[in-house]
Amino acid sequence: MNPEQTHDRLDRHALVMAIWVAFGFAAVVLINHGLGLGGAVFLFAGAGAIILGFLGHVIVNAVYATTFTPRELALALVIYVVCLISFGVATLLDRDFASRNFLALSADFIVIGVVVITYMIIHFGVRRTFQAFDVIRDFGDESRSSTSGAEK
Amino acid sequence: MTFVLLTALALLAALGLYFGTMSARAASSASEYLDAGRTLPTWVLVFAGAGVSLAAIGLNDQLRLLAIYGLQANQIAVGLILAALFAALFQKRVWVASRLTGLSTIGDLLGAYFGSITIRLYLLFVLFLFSIPVAAYCLAEFGEIVEATTGGAVPASYAIWGTAIYLFIAGALGGWRGTLYWVSMLSLVCLVLLVLSGGFIVAGFDAVAFPVQGIATAQGILADRIPGVIQFTAGIGREEAIGGPFTAIAGFTFAIGMIGISLSPAFSFLGITSSSKKGFALSQVWMVAGVTAGLLGLFGPVIAAEIAALGNGQHVGGLVAKFAALNELSAVALLIMLLGSLQIAIAFFANSGASIVTLELVSRYILPDLDQNGQRLASRIALAGIYLCAAAVANFAPLSAAVFGALALSLSVQLLPAYLGLCWVPWISRSGVIVGLILGILLVVFTEPFGLILFDRFFVEIPWGRWPLTIHSAAWGLAFNFLAVLLVSLFSRGGEERTHREQLHAAFESSDPRVVRGAAITARWSLILVWSFLALGPGAILGNSFFSDPIFTQGSITPGLPSLLIWQILFWIVGVVLVWWLAYQGGLSVIVTTPKRVVDLAPPRNPLFEPTTPPWISRLLGRVVNR
Repeated sequence: MNPEQTHDRLDRHALVMAIWVAFGFAAVVLINHGLGLGGAVFLFAGAGAIILGFLGHVIVNAVYATTFTPRELALALVIYVVCLISFGVATLLDRDFASRNFLALSADFIVIGVVVITYMIIHFGVRRTFQAFDVIRDFGDESRSSTSGAEK
Repeated sequence: MTFVLLTALALLAALGLYFGTMSARAASSASEYLDAGRTLPTWVLVFAGAGVSLAAIGLNDQLRLLAIYGLQANQIAVGLILAALFAALFQKRVWVASRLTGLSTIGDLLGAYFGSITIRLYLLFVLFLFSIPVAAYCLAEFGEIVEATTGGAVPASYAIWGTAIYLFIAGALGGWRGTLYWVSMLSLVCLVLLVLSGGFIVAGFDAVAFPVQGIATAQGILADRIPGVIQFTAGIGREEAIGGPFTAIAGFTFAIGMIGISLSPAFSFLGITSSSKKGFALSQVWMVAGVTAGLLGLFGPVIAAEIAALGNGQHVGGLVAKFAALNELSAVALLIMLLGSLQIAIAFFANSGASIVTLELVSRYILPDLDQNGQRLASRIALAGIYLCAAAVANFAPLSAAVFGALALSLSVQLLPAYLGLCWVPWISRSGVIVGLILGILLVVFTEPFGLILFDRFFVEIPWGRWPLTIHSAAWGLAFNFLAVLLVSLFSRGGEERTHREQLHAAFESSDPRVVRGAAITARWSLILVWSFLALGPGAILGNSFFSDPIFTQGSITPGLPSLLIWQILFWIVGVVLVWWLAYQGGLSVIVTTPKRVVDLAPPRNPLFEPTTPPWISRLLGRVVNR
């Protein structure tokens, strides 16, 4: 890898981190207050900060002619799933939490999911977006490939 | 809250170290340490430019001024547009000049262009003021805020030395590139948190002070009006201005002082070391004039109104406590915004100081044969020295830091004729610039606390105070400076020196031709003058009642916001459009092609130009080395 490519990778990495540190911190503050005294307005604002961070990341990808790296995807999925599970567990165990925050937080998760899927549809097209979630087809491919392997 | 604050600061410090390490690993040669190989990306220029502009004003100081003097101090936010305009005027041309000549700092460029060691030394002096007194002032303020908001759990001295040590380690690891990554990240964080803090007040507080009572200033201070066009007072410390010190002329001349940000050696170094062709316009138009000036002008008064309503000597501690009562993390966010902007100033000015000193002083005069590794070591030693001095001054003599630091912007502005000469006006001569600088320095020194204290203590009491006639020291200096430059250049504009200077301007014409000429230029600059008159100059006084008591009607209306704030918002928008017009349409900040090196600014035979180490430095070194 030549120095220019190294610098480009580093520049992109640093910019992505800068965006997520800024918007991520804002989102944490807003959601934290939303879960306490703030209520739905702050929870929505928190989701808004996350979406702004995501849009910033998409713009960075466009500028540097890249896509999300596997590490970034993995980290985002882990965070999203952990938050979703925590939300589910808290809703089941804490009646107050459920009554106060269920609708707003559900809306947050749905909106973030919709934004990501919309981006995928715009970027990859409907067919490739569907293929990304088409688990059954993956199983089919796997069984076909294992069968063909056995035939060999 | 102390634990959460310290954790957040520790995470930011860890990010600084991470960026430093990553930059060091990515560096292909030791020389990259000093100037990032002159390949800083666009986004660094864009965000760092905005953050440094905000930090050089001092976010905490600006909020305090707003809390004390009300919306008259908000003229400073509008003044940022003037700083962006002047950045548009010079930043690209300096970048092109550095590519045409192969020179890497503004000191090198101005020194070689005018053939003057005096100008080089003056730039180093201005650099010193930014690197040590300004950094020390910011460090002292950092320590004071941390001590006050942690209830003394973290003493100021611990905060000062701790911050200086980790900033040094991060800077020493990553060099200019690592520091700029971190500064850019902090700039973005500060801007986002400025919106968050303002929004939190509006959406989270039961009663928002600004729409209800405005900014609760002390009796006699006009909270939502500019106190006249000019007041013939002796100056701060001698005679108080009636209604507040920010008259229309004070606002305008303060804005002239802020041009010093764009002309500072560090800011020029940021531009020169970038590789960007698009970054200048983006930075000047959208980030500095647009986002930074806008956010400061819109959210600053909202935050300041809360600070003023709480009293507490206009210290931010009261507001932090109010935030913490609602949500601890929001209080930490407010603090990170203030402390982050201080860290931007400290890291940026200290690291640029170390790099420029190494390039301009150490490897040019003291150790000319230094190899790349040696230069990196020299820069790290310089950085250690700068942080040591800054931390010591901040800890033991914070008042001195404030007194010396106050000179930095005003003295930086005195370089305006030199920049004009380098970039646009070949008839401005070396003698003119030097005479102008001398007069400018004198005027600045004697209208700032440094000169006043010095003269009062040792000689006689001067009858004026700081900023007499409510005119900022930068403008006092610049007025006499320009007069001298014009007069002296009139008699020394020709000759061999002029031929030497014309080389660069001829190269400009071929590599960076002007996009518009003649009447179009006149129209644009006329509009700028009209804007300056109405937004910042004497015309700004109209804003006091323009929207509440319309001139051509008998009645008055209640627009919901103070008339002056609406005026400021209006001229902020118009100002952004004007900067956009000049930067993009006027071609002031658009680079089409990267020029090749075609000019050699240092002819070997002319004794006016310095081919070797100056005799006085040689003699000084000889005494030490040959002993």
